Amino acid sequence: MSERPKILIVDDEPDVLLTLRMILESEGFDPILAADGETALRRVDDEHPDLVVLDIMMPVLDGWFVLAELGGRPIHPSVVVCSAKSGDADRARARDLGAAEYVTKPFEPDDLVDVIRAVLGRNHVAV
Amino acid sequence: MDQLPVGISQRIRHEARVAGLHDHAPSIEMVERRRLQLWSIMILVMIAVGLATLGVSGATGNVSWVTGEPLVLAGGVGVLAIAFCIYAVEKEIHLHRLSRLLVDERLLSNTMALQIQMNTALFNAGKALNSVMDLDDVLDAILANALELLGAAGGSVMLLEDQTVLRVVAVRGEGILRDARIRIGSSLVGRVAQSREPFLASAEVAAADVGGALDPAVEVGGAMCVPLVNRGQLLGVLTVLAANAAEFTDDELAVLTLFAEPVAAATAKAGLYEAERANVAKLLESDRMKSQFVASVSHELRTPITSIRGAVAASRRTDIPAQREELLDVVDRQSGRLQAMVEEMLVAARMQETANRPTMQQIDLCALIRLTALDSHVAGRPVDLELPQSCTVRSEPEALRRVLTNLIENAHKYGSDPIRVAVQVADDQVVMSVIDAGPGVAPDERERIFERFYRSDPNGTKPGMGLGLSIVRGLVESFGGTVWVEDAPGGGAAFRVALRASFVMEQPAEAVHV
Repeated sequence: MSERPKILIVDDEPDVLLTLRMILESEGFDPILAADGETALRRVDDEHPDLVVLDIMMPVLDGWFVLAELGGRPIHPSVVVCSAKSGDADRARARDLGAAEYVTKPFEPDDLVDVIRAVLGRNHVAV
Repeated sequence: MDQLPVGISQRIRHEARVAGLHDHAPSIEMVERRRLQLWSIMILVMIAVGLATLGVSGATGNVSWVTGEPLVLAGGVGVLAIAFCIYAVEKEIHLHRLSRLLVDERLLSNTMALQIQMNTALFNAGKALNSVMDLDDVLDAILANALELLGAAGGSVMLLEDQTVLRVVAVRGEGILRDARIRIGSSLVGRVAQSREPFLASAEVAAADVGGALDPAVEVGGAMCVPLVNRGQLLGVLTVLAANAAEFTDDELAVLTLFAEPVAAATAKAGLYEAERANVAKLLESDRMKSQFVASVSHELRTPITSIRGAVAASRRTDIPAQREELLDVVDRQSGRLQAMVEEMLVAARMQETANRPTMQQIDLCALIRLTALDSHVAGRPVDLELPQSCTVRSEPEALRRVLTNLIENAHKYGSDPIRVAVQVADDQVVMSVIDAGPGVAPDERERIFERFYRSDPNGTKPGMGLGLSIVRGLVESFGGTVWVEDAPGGGAAFRVALRASFVMEQPAEAVHV
């Protein structure tokens, strides 16, 4: 594990991946990317990220599937769900599936960075 | 000499008192017993008087009619006998009158009981009509009441299925086929429907009604058929069957005719209710789809805004010109996407407002398809083309291009590669097809996917607002074409747009204006 916290960004929108990668890099994180649920799970296995920023609405394997899959594992990275779905039911579902935080799109990038720092702090990852 | 027209029970009490009966409610049997007693006593008295007279004359032999003492005795007995007779006759007159009154009373109360029974049955029928809104339940309840009142073995309500055929919708008891369909004009029920006149059939006639609504395997009596008419419109026929070779009477036909009224009213009312319910269901569905649309739109708007805000925040954090350039591209791309969405919504709204007459012109469909396919390729949605050299249709180029773009986007979103666009020319029709290799469209969704706001993917794992295909249909119909979806021959969905061919050319296109 590098000294910089490794963050996996999962989103099917290339532009969201691009901009989040730049922002997180400039904030001292080590971002890695996945554009669908399947790749996300593979990268979690291969790279052991400290935290996952997870979109929900994705083709093939959606965010709910990834969340449930990660939640079923004994050891897994914290997940910050980052979705355009803003309903209470979606928040509750994410919480039940073990998400650490829920951020609604569109978000202020600084706020997302704050949330990521807070969750990592809780997990005692040096930021 | 009749009494004052007081109530019959008062007169009965009066006559009973005069006749020496002290019971408050004398029965016919009691009166008859009393009359029998009276007559018996009178006959006994007569015999006694006769015997006494004979005895007296026998004992005295020659009797002097002037002074003889036995004569005085006989005279006394005679007077007593006459007085008794007068008393007895007087009582008899009153007893006779009482007896007649009692018969009248019994008749009246029987009639009244029948009347009450019928009113109760009709009342129950009316109650069923008002309390239950499900037509089958209403008809069943009314039929049950009618059968009970008439003591019938079985009955049915048949309603018009279309203009020519009656179908059983409610059956009770025996003797009626449950799935009978009767053509108007044929068999007993069909003839009643045609003539719209109630009909009383004897057991013989009912048994001869082969091929009708009656079950030939069940031995029944007479039948009655009454047409159900509401506001001059025939709705169906009400039929009842008598049990065990019994016959119905004209009076009973009149009673059944009374029942036909609530049945017809229920049917008409249920029809209105059904229409209203369908309407409400449609409105609720439309409301649901609009809520879903708002959710879809907000989601669709949020995604590009997320990218734009991210790009702005990222560009503030970097000094590298190449990175800034890249981020500006993001802003450009995503604002273009927002603009396209707003336009799509405007097009949909405008189509809803007015039937915009597009400015029609001769265009070469094939050239238009090639250009659109090129754009689509650039946008990362490649398509294969199977086109003739050229073919001309009358249409509006911008609208037709939007139709094709939407169909290609749709195929990429819901189908899978390869996507093909083909054109077939047949007679005066040009059919443009967009074919994908995806799972196809389920038959029950083939119409609905063209509705505004409808999404085959309500959980929203696919982006979209539910407008694309409704815009396609609106535009295609605005220039006189039709659009539908079917299974592609090799699997997948085939969206087909049929347009009227203007004229067909197989030579190099000269009149191409796209």
